[in-house]
Amino acid sequence: MNSLGLALAILGAACSALFAGIGSAKGVGLVGEAAAGVVSVDPNKFSKVLILQLLPGTQGLYGLLTAILLLSRIGVIGSGAVDLTVSQGLMFFAASLPIAIVGLFSGIAQGRAAAAGVGIVAKKPDHSGKGIIMAAMVETYAILALLISILLIYNITF
Amino acid sequence: MSSTKYASAVAAVKAMESNLITQGEFEQLINAKSAAEMDAILSSGASERNSLNEVWEMIHDFAPDSEELKILLYRNDFHNLKAALKATLSNREPEQYYITPTNLELDELKSILTSKEYDYLPEYMRETAEQAYELLTRTLDGQLSDSLIDSAALSAMQKASYEFGGEFIQKYSQLITVCADIKTAYRCSVMNKPYSFIETAVCGSEELDKESLARSAQRGTESFFSFLESTPYNEAAEILKSSPAQFEKWCDDIITDHAESARMRSFGTEPLMAYFIAKETEIKNLRILKVCKECNTNKETIMERMRKLYV
Repeated sequence: MNSLGLALAILGAACSALFAGIGSAKGVGLVGEAAAGVVSVDPNKFSKVLILQLLPGTQGLYGLLTAILLLSRIGVIGSGAVDLTVSQGLMFFAASLPIAIVGLFSGIAQGRAAAAGVGIVAKKPDHSGKGIIMAAMVETYAILALLISILLIYNITF
Repeated sequence: MSSTKYASAVAAVKAMESNLITQGEFEQLINAKSAAEMDAILSSGASERNSLNEVWEMIHDFAPDSEELKILLYRNDFHNLKAALKATLSNREPEQYYITPTNLELDELKSILTSKEYDYLPEYMRETAEQAYELLTRTLDGQLSDSLIDSAALSAMQKASYEFGGEFIQKYSQLITVCADIKTAYRCSVMNKPYSFIETAVCGSEELDKESLARSAQRGTESFFSFLESTPYNEAAEILKSSPAQFEKWCDDIITDHAESARMRSFGTEPLMAYFIAKETEIKNLRILKVCKECNTNKETIMERMRKLYV
């Protein structure tokens, strides 16, 4: 039974990296498509569209951070894996869900917002900051989810 | 369209929109003293001016699978069909009458019509090509055959827009049809054309019923205008009464107004189509301006004739 608890915790770590990573990949890919369209017409706008393309990439990093913290907390990285009950394993799994789910959807949504922001860079380069701010708003919810995931991971007692 | 399709094409088009001639630049062109000065102003512009063919190639390269975009060229395809049919029957070369861009290679069109293998034509043209050929050889009435093809072009646009397209292209096809039908019916009413001719020449749409329009045009201009006044296009009746040239401008302007509705979209085919329409209008404006300059038309008249700009 103890190994099942550990497996659930590791599954949680995998989910946080996996789903947040998918969200980021989709978001960055979408902005990349739009950015390539602009650069094909005006290569001078590369640096401005690059900032927008980077924005949806953060969810993947949050997922990775959560996974590392979780694996470190249960000893898979470092001192050796600890024994976990099923309920403890489930708690760790649940702790990973905020960043896994919010990371997935916010990555995609931020990609859409940033791709639309690429349109602002294309037409009115002087207002590109507005496009960046609007896309960055989506980030708030990924940060909140990351915060909750970290708080949960560090407050589960075993 | 809720998907994120064509993100790359839309972004490229938005970058290209900044190269469209602005109101300020057009005013500069209007103030030019001659067509030569106009050319000098245009060539001195920092940004590159793409032709309609180049714009189409770019759009098509980004969205090669879009049947919806192809609808924009249906009118050109059918125009070329008219040219090729007449040229084939009179043993002349149709090249000088062709307009581009088109969905169908022009050499291919000519060879299909010469060999009468209509099955090789796109589906939306097959039946019309066969009917028009038969009509032209039987009656030798070029005007009737042209009317048949024009009406079929509008009908094909409407049909394809419902089959492949979204709201934007459906409304666009409807506006194009309505404008063309009003122009045709008005001319027929002025020329006292018989009902059988008018019925062939007008296409009809949801907002302008074909039979009612044809009947009213057959009864004369007064009857035609009173019918038009009873439709959502009563404004068109007023403008057409005062000046057919202003009506032409009104038609182009409502298409530009419609194109503007797609400006705020970040994804989908709508911004691509809107840009193509904007480019068509820009080219039309330049042509009007050039002719006016060559004829020494005064500034007020030029301003009256200029089409509404997308930018």
